[in-house]
Amino acid sequence: MNENTILQVDGLVKRLGGKPVVNDVGFSCSKGEVVGLLGPNGAGKTTTLRMCYGFLRPDSGTVRVGEWDIQKDNDPASRAIGVCTQDETFDGDFTVRGNLVQGCRYYRPKIADRDERVEEVLEQFGLKDFADAKPDTLSGGYRRRLMIARAVVHRPQIVFLDEPTTGLDPEARVLVWELVDSLRAQGMAVVLTTHYMDEAERLSDRLILLKGGKIRATGTTEKLLGDVVGEHVVVVSRTGADLEVVDAWFRERGGKHSVILTDWHVPMGSADLAEFVTSFPDLRYEVRPPTLDDLFLALAKEVAQ
Amino acid sequence: MKGNTLYSPMFHWQSWAVVARHLRVLLLNWHTALVPPIAEPVVLLLAFGVGLGRQMDDFTWNGEPISYLSYLAPGILAYTSFMMAFFQSLFSAFMRMHYQRTWEGQLTTQVRLEHVIWGEALWAASLASFYVVTMCLVLIGFGLGGMLTLNWPWMLVAIPVLYLGSLAFAFVGLLFTATLPSMDHMGLPFFLVILPIGFASGTYFPLPDIKWLHILAEANPLYHLAEGVRLLLIDGTLSFHLPKAIGMSLVMLLILVPIVRRKLRRRIFGED
Repeated sequence: MNENTILQVDGLVKRLGGKPVVNDVGFSCSKGEVVGLLGPNGAGKTTTLRMCYGFLRPDSGTVRVGEWDIQKDNDPASRAIGVCTQDETFDGDFTVRGNLVQGCRYYRPKIADRDERVEEVLEQFGLKDFADAKPDTLSGGYRRRLMIARAVVHRPQIVFLDEPTTGLDPEARVLVWELVDSLRAQGMAVVLTTHYMDEAERLSDRLILLKGGKIRATGTTEKLLGDVVGEHVVVVSRTGADLEVVDAWFRERGGKHSVILTDWHVPMGSADLAEFVTSFPDLRYEVRPPTLDDLFLALAKEVAQ
Repeated sequence: MKGNTLYSPMFHWQSWAVVARHLRVLLLNWHTALVPPIAEPVVLLLAFGVGLGRQMDDFTWNGEPISYLSYLAPGILAYTSFMMAFFQSLFSAFMRMHYQRTWEGQLTTQVRLEHVIWGEALWAASLASFYVVTMCLVLIGFGLGGMLTLNWPWMLVAIPVLYLGSLAFAFVGLLFTATLPSMDHMGLPFFLVILPIGFASGTYFPLPDIKWLHILAEANPLYHLAEGVRLLLIDGTLSFHLPKAIGMSLVMLLILVPIVRRKLRRRIFGED
């Protein structure tokens, strides 16, 4: 754990209802770094995140935030953490400003310049005009901003964002992305989960791909795509001729093709692509670089198999 | 589970931060929150104590003739401490846990589940005691009007005992909060707790001379609270009912705190 590492997670295991939900997960996150936890539904993203911020107790494994173990030194570790949950948990009885002030009251040592800090955060998150409004009267995008603002109002070293843009329209999503980017620029460590591939790709410095509660792959987007999907994706229309022959060719090579509406999307390496081109000279198809959507589809196939 | 992690959170700042949050919300909604506790006892005392009391000239308690208003007033103090604490830790806590997600928000800070539980219980007991104090002031008003005579200074002894009783009843409410699957099942605690405890408490009338009812009452902390406070305020007697009420409240806390904690851990965290 070097001096820039804010979060160090090792060997996390969690069973819920007798079933393993997270199994031997470990990763780290440094100052000014955004780490994305990615995976299909039920992959264990939220459970991992919840153990990281001390909401759930791991069956085994450790989470260190700065110099503190989240289980043994919960108080100082929690002081260094900010959390934006998937569901809206702001206090409907208070105004936007009241929520931020109330958020500060759940931390010790107290925030010495609390009122100034609240005004600063209202400004930073574009909430100044709604400071005296009740959160329920805000649009989805502003409510999400309030959730993130409350997560950072006490100046944590690391912030956990659980699907921060789920349910938001494209414009609101971009605004949240900009906020996350500004947190990174301030030197805050950020760990986020998301279903959105473009979000993971744009925001994360490093991705951790979870599948069935285990880490399937880690690295940059390009590395993950290369490792799990392949270098290229061939898109073949299922309405053309010779489909049985093409299907048989795919199956001989592992049958990793996904059906999306009327097309087959087939990940493959350069060697396979060269062979495919020579095998089907008259077939109409498109070759494109892999995306994180392909990654999800590939994972779903692995789970099914 | 070590005892200190069960009971010591009662004194932690986080539990009191939860209490302070609820107090702020109450003060924000003071116009709706404060009217019922003042209006309710006045209406009750006027309707039952004065109205019904006039129809009962030969009302006796412990073999002595007594005005029905004097009998009713201490009982209502005990019943208020029970009902308000139970109601707060059941309905209001359930709303905060399930619908408003206030608990989830608190649990992402330095506040832990033990603090949320104790915060809810302490708040329920504090609010119930605030209602009790309000009621005491109303009773003093009746006294100043010449309608009621009680041993007023003993109220200062009754209030802390009632606070402890409220705290124990708050954990009964939290037990249901931890257990009930949805708001649709809220009738159950009324049927299982409020009805039998209220019925065998001697709040409104002395218990009839039925053996099984007295056996039931002996095991009812509200009965001992009501009788203890009544003896205190009417006769100025520190009866055996008060230590019984205190003892039963402590036993309830001893038993219920770990159960509530375990059930809520399972409910909120899904842990076995």
